[in-house]
Amino acid sequence: MKALEEFMQKMKPKSDGKFPLAHAVWDGTYTFLFVPGHTNKNGVHIRDSVDLKRTMIIVVLALIPCLLFGIYNVGHQHFLALGDCVAGDCATDLFMDKVLFGLMKVLPLVVISYGVGLGIEFIFAAINRHPIQEGFLVSGMLIPLIVPVDIPWAMLAVAVAFAVVLGKEVFGGTGMNVLNVALVTRAFLFFAYPTKMSGDQVWTNTSLEEGQALVDGYSGATPLGKAVEGGVEAIPSIMESVIGFIPGSIGETSIIAIGLGALLLLFTGIASWRIILSTFIGGYLMGFVFNQVAGDNLFMQVPALHQLMLGGFAFGAIFMATDPVTGTQTNAGKWVYGILIGILAILIRVANPAYPEGVMLAILIGNVCAPLIDHVVISSNIKKRLKRVKTA
Amino acid sequence: MEYLNIFIKSAFIDNMVFTFFFGMCSYLAVSKTVKTAVGLGSAVIFVLVVTTPINYLLETLVLQEGALSWLGDEYATMDLSFLSFIMFIAVIASIVQLVEMLVEKFSPALYGALGIFLPLIAVNCAILGAALFMQQKQFANIGQATVYGLGSGFGWFIAIVLIAAIREKIKYSHIPGPMRGVGMAFLLTGLMGLAFLGFLGFEL
Repeated sequence: MKALEEFMQKMKPKSDGKFPLAHAVWDGTYTFLFVPGHTNKNGVHIRDSVDLKRTMIIVVLALIPCLLFGIYNVGHQHFLALGDCVAGDCATDLFMDKVLFGLMKVLPLVVISYGVGLGIEFIFAAINRHPIQEGFLVSGMLIPLIVPVDIPWAMLAVAVAFAVVLGKEVFGGTGMNVLNVALVTRAFLFFAYPTKMSGDQVWTNTSLEEGQALVDGYSGATPLGKAVEGGVEAIPSIMESVIGFIPGSIGETSIIAIGLGALLLLFTGIASWRIILSTFIGGYLMGFVFNQVAGDNLFMQVPALHQLMLGGFAFGAIFMATDPVTGTQTNAGKWVYGILIGILAILIRVANPAYPEGVMLAILIGNVCAPLIDHVVISSNIKKRLKRVKTA
Repeated sequence: MEYLNIFIKSAFIDNMVFTFFFGMCSYLAVSKTVKTAVGLGSAVIFVLVVTTPINYLLETLVLQEGALSWLGDEYATMDLSFLSFIMFIAVIASIVQLVEMLVEKFSPALYGALGIFLPLIAVNCAILGAALFMQQKQFANIGQATVYGLGSGFGWFIAIVLIAAIREKIKYSHIPGPMRGVGMAFLLTGLMGLAFLGFLGFEL
């Protein structure tokens, strides 16, 4: 570590040199690896060593269980689809094969997401002559986890570029964006390539190495896609969705893996427990209302608690809705924001036949409404205090 | 239920701003602060609720093919729908003038709050757009047309208030020079439209 630090210090390019990009890259890497020794020139200010880069890394760490599980599950679904193992008796055999296959499929997505996104960040940092901003560390990890496995790499690259440039950099970079960057990527893919991303197809990849392909691809409906069309019995049981060996986007299937990440986020206080709790409350309320008015609609009869386990609800509530930049900032606002997202997510999922999954769009709508919610909370607070002053 | 359906559909699914990009000029110009946005938004709701049913009556009693049959048999085959643009805009402009005078007379406070926005609404294309969509949708009765007007106005209100809150929030962001101001508002409208696509396809 010492040697590395000395080496980095030796490599440091001049900040006012001819190559702003070189300095930006060096600065970004250095402050990523070592806590920078910034001190204030005047006045007394205490700096916490947990700066933005450290915060971001904790979120990335929280995502690791989802990523590892996702890698394994991709391989698992692959061999399940090929028929190499009998369903239910698949956990022990072919373990390494599954992991390797999952790595082959998932790693390129991670590399593309980080490569394109950080590349754009570096270029913008060089043009604006400010240090590289660290916001993409989390987005770059979220993006591979919420896309289907077999997404063409070019599409992913285009979507990431769109989201980083138009969703974030034009707003002034990290901390200024209005919509969650990862969700903008997902929404862009969803609406720009609807045939590839309609969200109702199962994303199981069966193609082997070239020339050996058994079938071009195996596509059936996702559990939620089937449910919208009326086949509610296709929905996995609560137990299945808690463990997570079900088809779906890479990171969203296992409640256990998500829960591990959630524990870390809550323990470190990075994610707001108010938003997480209120999102689940909102989802439960909406599911409960649907249960009461269900009639003979089978999808509405799915128990409210079960609805929360399905699809990307838990993943979205814990990792995306809690984004401190795009969410609400006031405590009262956080409750409203979370409940709004929960209600909309279940509402879109059940009542809107166009989208089998509503969490992504619900959180985007929540992001759009967040500034207004904050505005209302703050201005009503001002009014309350003014009244107090007047009466006194 | 029928009325609720029309309301939800016109307010969220066929949102005037995010789906049709109507009324953009005042939407972009007045959305700098939440306060003015609320003022203009309420004025739009008000005018839409008043003009849409009047235009509906005009459409069914005068303009539609065969609408003039109440005058006598020789008028039963008349089709005046080619006049609808000019008639609708004339109705809107005169109603806005009338409303302005009434508001000024009876509620000076509201008149002061709405200010210049009230006369500006006469040329807001969301109002004419709502009248023309109303003509196209062929509502069964005047109640439905009124609810349609209310819903469209409410959707426009939501859109302008939301973007105003966002623009207040990003006022101090380090936005690249060329994107500041209207450029940012255009981009924001597009991104918000992306989010609002979630309502597309709702069936109640």
